[in-house]
Amino acid sequence: MKITIGHLYPDLLNLYGDRGNIQCLMKRCQWRGIEAETIPFELDDKIDFSKLDIVLLGGGSDREQMIVCEKLQEIQPDFKAYVEDNGVVIAICGGYQLLGKYYKTDQGNMKGLDLVDLYTEQGEGRLIQNIVLQSDLFDMPIVGFENHGGRTCINNNKPLGKVLYGAGNDGKSGYEGVVYKNVIGTYLHGPLLPKNPQLADWLIQHALERKYGKETELTPLDDSQEKEANDYIYHRFVRG
Amino acid sequence: MKIRVMIAVCAAKFVGYVCKKMGRQGVTWAGKVAIKICPDILEQLSSQVRKAIFATCGTNGKTTTNNMLCAALEAEGQKVICNHTGSNMLNGVVAAFVLASKWNGKIDADYACIEADEASTRHIFPRIKPDYMLLTNLFRDQLDRYGEIDITMNILEEMMRKVPKMQIIVNGDDALSAYLAMDSGNPYVTYGISKPVIKSAANEIREGRFCKRCGEKLEYRFYHYSQLGDYYCPKCRFARPKPDFDAEDVKVGDQLSFCVEGKHIVANYKGFYNVYNILAAYAGVRTAGFAGEHFGDMLRRFNPENGRMEQFRIKGTGVTLNLAKNPAGFNQNISAVMQDQAPKDIIIAINDNAQDGTDISWLWDVDFDLLGNDSVKSITVSGIRCQDMRLRLKYVDIPSILQGDVEKAIRDRVEDGTGNLYVLVNYTALFSTRNILKRLEGER
Repeated sequence: MKITIGHLYPDLLNLYGDRGNIQCLMKRCQWRGIEAETIPFELDDKIDFSKLDIVLLGGGSDREQMIVCEKLQEIQPDFKAYVEDNGVVIAICGGYQLLGKYYKTDQGNMKGLDLVDLYTEQGEGRLIQNIVLQSDLFDMPIVGFENHGGRTCINNNKPLGKVLYGAGNDGKSGYEGVVYKNVIGTYLHGPLLPKNPQLADWLIQHALERKYGKETELTPLDDSQEKEANDYIYHRFVRG
Repeated sequence: MKIRVMIAVCAAKFVGYVCKKMGRQGVTWAGKVAIKICPDILEQLSSQVRKAIFATCGTNGKTTTNNMLCAALEAEGQKVICNHTGSNMLNGVVAAFVLASKWNGKIDADYACIEADEASTRHIFPRIKPDYMLLTNLFRDQLDRYGEIDITMNILEEMMRKVPKMQIIVNGDDALSAYLAMDSGNPYVTYGISKPVIKSAANEIREGRFCKRCGEKLEYRFYHYSQLGDYYCPKCRFARPKPDFDAEDVKVGDQLSFCVEGKHIVANYKGFYNVYNILAAYAGVRTAGFAGEHFGDMLRRFNPENGRMEQFRIKGTGVTLNLAKNPAGFNQNISAVMQDQAPKDIIIAINDNAQDGTDISWLWDVDFDLLGNDSVKSITVSGIRCQDMRLRLKYVDIPSILQGDVEKAIRDRVEDGTGNLYVLVNYTALFSTRNILKRLEGER
C-alpha cells in the first residue's frame, strides 16, 4: 500500500511547525509498513489531484496568503472535484480560511477556494493561546495552539470539535474547525498531528479506504508518548 | 526638571540595589520606577552621551554582538554604557542609563551600546535617536508574541524612517535585513561572508524566499544557513550587496578564525554563527571611526558569561551551556555541538513561559535529525514542555530520556554520562539553569 501526500506551497505556507504534520503522517505510515511519499508543490507547478491521497494546506503570513490565493483560483475546479470525490484534505490556520468563500480583512477581500461553505472575517485582536477540543470523531481530546485574527463562520457544517479551552472558530460559538466529507479544516497548529495521533490516523485511514476501495484497519502503534504529551496539555488547561 | 531627574535616578538606584540584595534581577524594575517619576528620563540621560549611540537589533546574536561591540569600544579607550544583561525592552534600556548615571543625573560616557528588542524599538528609538543601528538578521521567532516577520519588518522600516540620519550596519547576507537597509534611504554599510563555509541542510527553514522589492522568487548561489547566503532576484535588480566588511578564509572548528581587512581574527568560540557576531561588532567599531587595532586583544579577553556557549566543570564533567530559542538559532547550536566529534550527552530544556513564547511548535522547524549520530550517547529532555520535545525526537527516530527537573537531569548525566555534556535551553530556562550549573560547580 502507498500513500501520496501533496503539500501545497510549503515555500509560502510554512508557518511554525507545519513540517511536523508531514513528518507525522510519513512516519505513521512507514511504521506500519505503508509506503509514503510527499510531493511539495511550488506556485508554478501543475497539480494532478488524481495522484494524491492526502492534501495538506498550511498557513502563511497574510502577505504570503494573498500571493497563494490568486494562484488557488486556477486550481479551484480540480481541487473542488477532488474534495467532492472524497479526497482527504487537512487544512490548517490560513489554509483553513482559504477553504471557504472569502477572508475579509481591513487590507481587502481575499477570495477563497469555495470548497466548503464557510467564510472568514477579520475580528478585533488576535486569538492566541493553547486550545483543547473534544471531537465526536475521537475519544482523545484534540490539543494544539491557535493564533488567528480571522473569525470563521462554518454555516451549517459540522465542526471538528467543541472547545474545552481556548477561542475556536470565532471565540463565541464554542466550536472549532470544520469537517466536510473527508476534509478537515482547523486553526490548530502545534503542530496539529503529532500530539493528536488519532486525527493523523483518521486521515491515513480515509485516504487508504478511498484509494483501495475497502475498509481498512490500521495496525495499532505504541502511542504512549503521544498520549502523555496530549494528556499534559489537557490536564494543564482543562482539568487543572 | 533637573530635580526630577535626580529623584528618578536615586529612586531607581535604590530599587536596583534592593532587588539585587534580594537576589532578583532588578534591572527592569529600576527602569520602570525611573520612567514613572520622570517620563523623559531616557531623553535626558541619553542626550548626554558624548560621541554616539549604537542600537543593536535582529532576531539572533543581539546580546553577544552588542556586548562585544561595547568591549571593542572600551578597548579603544572609550567609556561605554551598555545593557549587558540583554534586558532589551524600554525599562531595561532606561535602567542601563539610570544605573550608569551619577546621583546628580550626569552621564559620563562616550558611547552607548543598546540592545533593543525589535518590537520595543518604537518606544526606544524616538527617545535615544541612535546614530548607528546594527541589524544582525531576521528569523522567525515567537510568532505568538511578535506576530509574523512582516510585522517586525514594518516596525523596523518605520524606525529607520523616523531617524533618517541613523547609519545602518547590516548583515548583507540576509536578504530581509539588507532589503530594509538598502530601501530605507538611510546611509548603510554591510558586512558578510562571500564564500561558502559550512554545508547548509537542504530542508532547513528559510525566510523571505521571495524578493521584497518585486515578489519574484529569489535565486541563491549558495546558503550559509537558514536564508543567509548569496542571493539575487532574477527579475528586478535586488541582490546581495558586496560587503564593506568581508570575512574571508573562514575556519570553523574548536575555535573560529577569519580575515577581515587584512586582519587575522581568532576567537575561542564554537559555532559558525559567531563569525557573524564578531564581524558585526568589528564593522561597528570600524564604522565609528576606529582602526580596530585592539579588536583581536579584546576578543581574546572577552568572556560573555551569559549562558552563550558558557563552560562549566562539574565533578570532572565539562558542561557547555547554550541558549537556543528559535529554529535558526537552534540549528546553529546543533551544528556547533556536532562539530565536537567526541562522545557527548545532550540535555534539551524547553519552557513555554510568556518570555519564551507560549507556542512551542517551532521545535518542529528545527533539524533535530542531525543529532542522530553515534557520538551522541544520550539525549535528555527537560523543562516544562519536555513531553513535546520527546515527541519531536521520536518522529526523527531518536530516543530520549524524560526528566522534567533540569537539576536532576544534569546531576544524572554528570553521574552516568561521558564527561562531555551539552545543555541547550530556551530563554526562561537559561537563568535558572545557569544558576544550577554555577552552584553544582561550587559543590565538592
